[in-house]
Amino acid sequence: MNVIMPQLGETVEEGTVSIWHKKVGDIVVSGENLFDVSTDKVEMEIPASTSGKLLEILVLEGETVAVGVTLAIIDDGSKANEVSVDISTKSEENFSNIDNQSTNRSKIAKEKIGKRDSLGNPLSPVVRRLLTDNNISPDEMSGSGSGGRITRGDVLAYLNNNVPNLNNGQKVVPFDSIRKLTAEHMKRSKSTSPHVLQAIEVDYFSVNRARSVVGEAWKAQHGFSLTYLPFIAKAFCQVIKEFPRINAHVLDESLLLFDKVNLGIAVDLNFQGLVVPVIKNADDKSVAELAKEIWSLSEKARNKKLLPDEMTGGTYTISNSGAFGSLITAPVINQPQVAILSTDGVKKKPVVLETDMGESIAIRPVGVLAQSFDHRAIDGAYSAAFLKRIKDYLQDEEWNVSLD
Amino acid sequence: MAKKPSNKSFEVDLANDDIGEEVRINLFRLQLECRHVEQRANDLFLQNLIKGTSHLGLGQEAIAAGFAGAMESDDYTFCTYRGHNHTLARGASMTGILGELMGRECGLLGGKGGSMHLTSVEHGAMGSYAIIGAHLPIAVGAAWSSQYRGSSQVTVCFFGDGTTNIGAFHEALNMAKIWELPVVFVCENNLYMEYTPIGNVTAVENPAADRASAYGLESIIVDGNDADEVYRVAKKAITKAREGKGPSLIEAKTYRHSGHSRADPGDYRPDGELESWLERDPVKSYRQRLIDFGFPKEEVDLLEQEVLNRVDEATETAKKSSPPSEEAIVKDVWADGGSSWRN
Amino acid sequence: MAELTYREAVAAAIAQEMRRDENVVFLGEDIGAAGGVFKTTVGLLDEFGPLRVRDTPISEQAILGAAMGAAMTGLRPIAEIMFSDFLAVCWDIVANQMAKARYMTDGQVSLPLVVRTANGGGSRFGAQHSQSVENWAMTIPGIKVVAPSTPADVKGLFAAAVRDDNPVLFFEQKSLYASKGEVPEGDHVEELGKAKVLREGDDLTIVALALMVPRALEAAERLEKSDGISATVIDLRSLVPLDTQTILAEVAKTGRMVTVEENPRLCGWGAEISSIVAEEMFYELDGPIVRITTPHIPLASADHLEDMMIPSVQRIYDEIRRAFS
Repeated sequence: MNVIMPQLGETVEEGTVSIWHKKVGDIVVSGENLFDVSTDKVEMEIPASTSGKLLEILVLEGETVAVGVTLAIIDDGSKANEVSVDISTKSEENFSNIDNQSTNRSKIAKEKIGKRDSLGNPLSPVVRRLLTDNNISPDEMSGSGSGGRITRGDVLAYLNNNVPNLNNGQKVVPFDSIRKLTAEHMKRSKSTSPHVLQAIEVDYFSVNRARSVVGEAWKAQHGFSLTYLPFIAKAFCQVIKEFPRINAHVLDESLLLFDKVNLGIAVDLNFQGLVVPVIKNADDKSVAELAKEIWSLSEKARNKKLLPDEMTGGTYTISNSGAFGSLITAPVINQPQVAILSTDGVKKKPVVLETDMGESIAIRPVGVLAQSFDHRAIDGAYSAAFLKRIKDYLQDEEWNVSLD
Repeated sequence: MAKKPSNKSFEVDLANDDIGEEVRINLFRLQLECRHVEQRANDLFLQNLIKGTSHLGLGQEAIAAGFAGAMESDDYTFCTYRGHNHTLARGASMTGILGELMGRECGLLGGKGGSMHLTSVEHGAMGSYAIIGAHLPIAVGAAWSSQYRGSSQVTVCFFGDGTTNIGAFHEALNMAKIWELPVVFVCENNLYMEYTPIGNVTAVENPAADRASAYGLESIIVDGNDADEVYRVAKKAITKAREGKGPSLIEAKTYRHSGHSRADPGDYRPDGELESWLERDPVKSYRQRLIDFGFPKEEVDLLEQEVLNRVDEATETAKKSSPPSEEAIVKDVWADGGSSWRN
Repeated sequence: MAELTYREAVAAAIAQEMRRDENVVFLGEDIGAAGGVFKTTVGLLDEFGPLRVRDTPISEQAILGAAMGAAMTGLRPIAEIMFSDFLAVCWDIVANQMAKARYMTDGQVSLPLVVRTANGGGSRFGAQHSQSVENWAMTIPGIKVVAPSTPADVKGLFAAAVRDDNPVLFFEQKSLYASKGEVPEGDHVEELGKAKVLREGDDLTIVALALMVPRALEAAERLEKSDGISATVIDLRSLVPLDTQTILAEVAKTGRMVTVEENPRLCGWGAEISSIVAEEMFYELDGPIVRITTPHIPLASADHLEDMMIPSVQRIYDEIRRAFS
């Protein structure tokens, strides 16, 4: 065992061996004084912490060494330096991330534009950024700020009125805030989840029959049409109980399952962006209630009247892509949900029916339901079984929709 | 029960033994554990495995043991930064304590608190406190809580002679008395504030006991180096509190064998003082007492050896434990386990 | 909805929480029999009795220490420190004990407690009874810091503070005690760490707290009417946790920020916000960030002098107009 120079005070870094009480070859007993140490503050007797033969003295009387240096070796049957764990500290870690947790949204401006315009007025950081991003010169506009300073408002007004025309018929249209947020979300979602697309065809014959029964009265009473979406939402809510791993969030290495269904419905805002209001406790609602809530949330979304509470807490999302008749869509998962369902166009198609009297062909309204799922959380068979159950539910259910 | 400490040898009166063998063995074991863990802590400093500073309670074991022996497991204790003994005596593990002193993951506080803040809430050890006097009002709060909840838990609060001159001491005693709270205040008078003799800086002779009357309390002095005496006084005060009869202030006379902290070799002590107190070493005296009471010497030695073995085992386990990981830095500022101050 | 004064909202909030949870207890000087020196705790002793509403001696360290000890052992105490200036007397318990106990004990200790106190000036009480010290609390890691500006927020944020399992310092502005506002009936709980946008504008974003909020709103009205300067006004409500996202989003919309704080010039909360915005929103800023504060001088007592020192509606208006000229 190595005998080391002890640290005799909180700020002491070295010590001098003043006296050895034992010599090489002596037997040392644990607890008896082995040597004396002096520092500029104090003199202390140091007892041996183990018993054995003093094999070697490495630091002689009168020598000064740093704390921790080996002074002597005692043969006590143990391996030298029993510190079996490397406790060298990893200091100098850069904790700036933990420290100020900054979400640094600043972009590094391309610095093509100087700090002042040609009149000598200062150009503020946002003005320089906007001018750089849009490749325009401050000389192209006049300033309304004090002393003729070009303000942010001046640049934005200029951009509104003159979408800058670069060479070769190209135009730069900067992303607005919704576009930026969407871009960020989509990019992150794709890089986070391994997306798998899986689709199934649904025969909406039964659903259509229910729709036609109440359709006119519904529209007259509520002012909007009863579409396929509330039926699909209802089918989802019924079936999802059997597939709890789909009504869930993906965490780092686990799934967070939810008892209730908070169903997000993606709403397009007149081609200006997407927003996903959430129907809370959708599993408690009837087709009629779902239809009404989908409508009211969509209206609110389009009028920018959605409350923060109505946009959070979703456990699954349905994206109604089919309004324009698309065949199939591979939607991007709304993080951190497990999956998302696209409801694509419903179109009359010839289908083969199997009846007791053999096979025949009928014209049926058919549409694809396409689910993108996160393959970290579930596998194809589970997803396929789920889609099959939804298809069966939509096709076989005795739909009975109340007017309210 | 104002009793001056004496050097008279204890009279063995088997017929009137109010303490009994079982309690005595427990008190002895507790003192041994305190002594050997604390001694080991000292050795580990000298091997540079414990960094920073440490305040050893060598010589004051009888107080921690005597009170621990007299408490229920759900009673609360609060102590100072010289709290290794007290935390250990409530049942915290040796590995946890030595590990914490060495700044390892297996430490009682995950390496985040250190020697001066040893805490084990599951054992009722509600913290060691490094700001003089701060924990006295906190102990009052714990006593208020058990009184309010009607739980019959008692709070015992340990502090040094220096504490009796700070404001929080006076605020706490006053509040404990006016609300008749179930708290026992124990002043461990080891004769030195930090480096200064307490007598030089205190207006009265017995820094705690002579102030008791200012708060409507009885003046109680006990020989802090006699675990049986401490146990008797403790039992009485704790029972009084538990019965809703209010707080007590006890001054236990004792002495610390080492300096105030690691930096202090204790040169301010007059020649011969340490030696004379070492003759009244509580652990040594108690070993003799057990033998006087007829406990076989071999079994006493066995007990001690068993404690030493456990200390060795704990030392090895703690040495093998790694330092805490980086993730520990950002954990447990808030109740949700995180440390974020912004979104 | 009911119309309550700010001080009535304090009592209503404490009562709401004490009715809801029998572990909530309350201690402080003159809070019980006297109903509080600012009459903020009237009726509580009658309703909850002397075991739950405790009048204490003048012992700030014992008041906060007892609150901490009780919180460690199963209760959810509310402690009053009569004037926020007095926090200096028991600052050890706040900064060294409450803020650090959970962290140092590796999560063993839990401190679900609220310290409420009357903060700020405008009441002619002189330098030692008029300070705004919420910035002191903001500098200590481990303490949540809340400062409501309306009776509704008093009730809602106080409820949130009591239900939060962490130590919360709740700063009531003493000059707002008589102000009135609509308070929702029934169980009203707000969210800590969420700022409120009270007014939307295009030209600048004003961030204010407590007494400075109604003054900022009035200044914003004046700026719009007489100078065509349209301002967003944010009521910060909590300093810790800080709703940084709302501040950053609103500053991004307007390109300019002004903070209005009652703290003295150096190291008031506005300095921290300015630093964050300067770092994270630099490329959205159309001009320098402006801080409107009390000067770095102890508050004078004469009403005429005090009114010139604490930012007034007129001074806020003037300084913003100057920043835009």
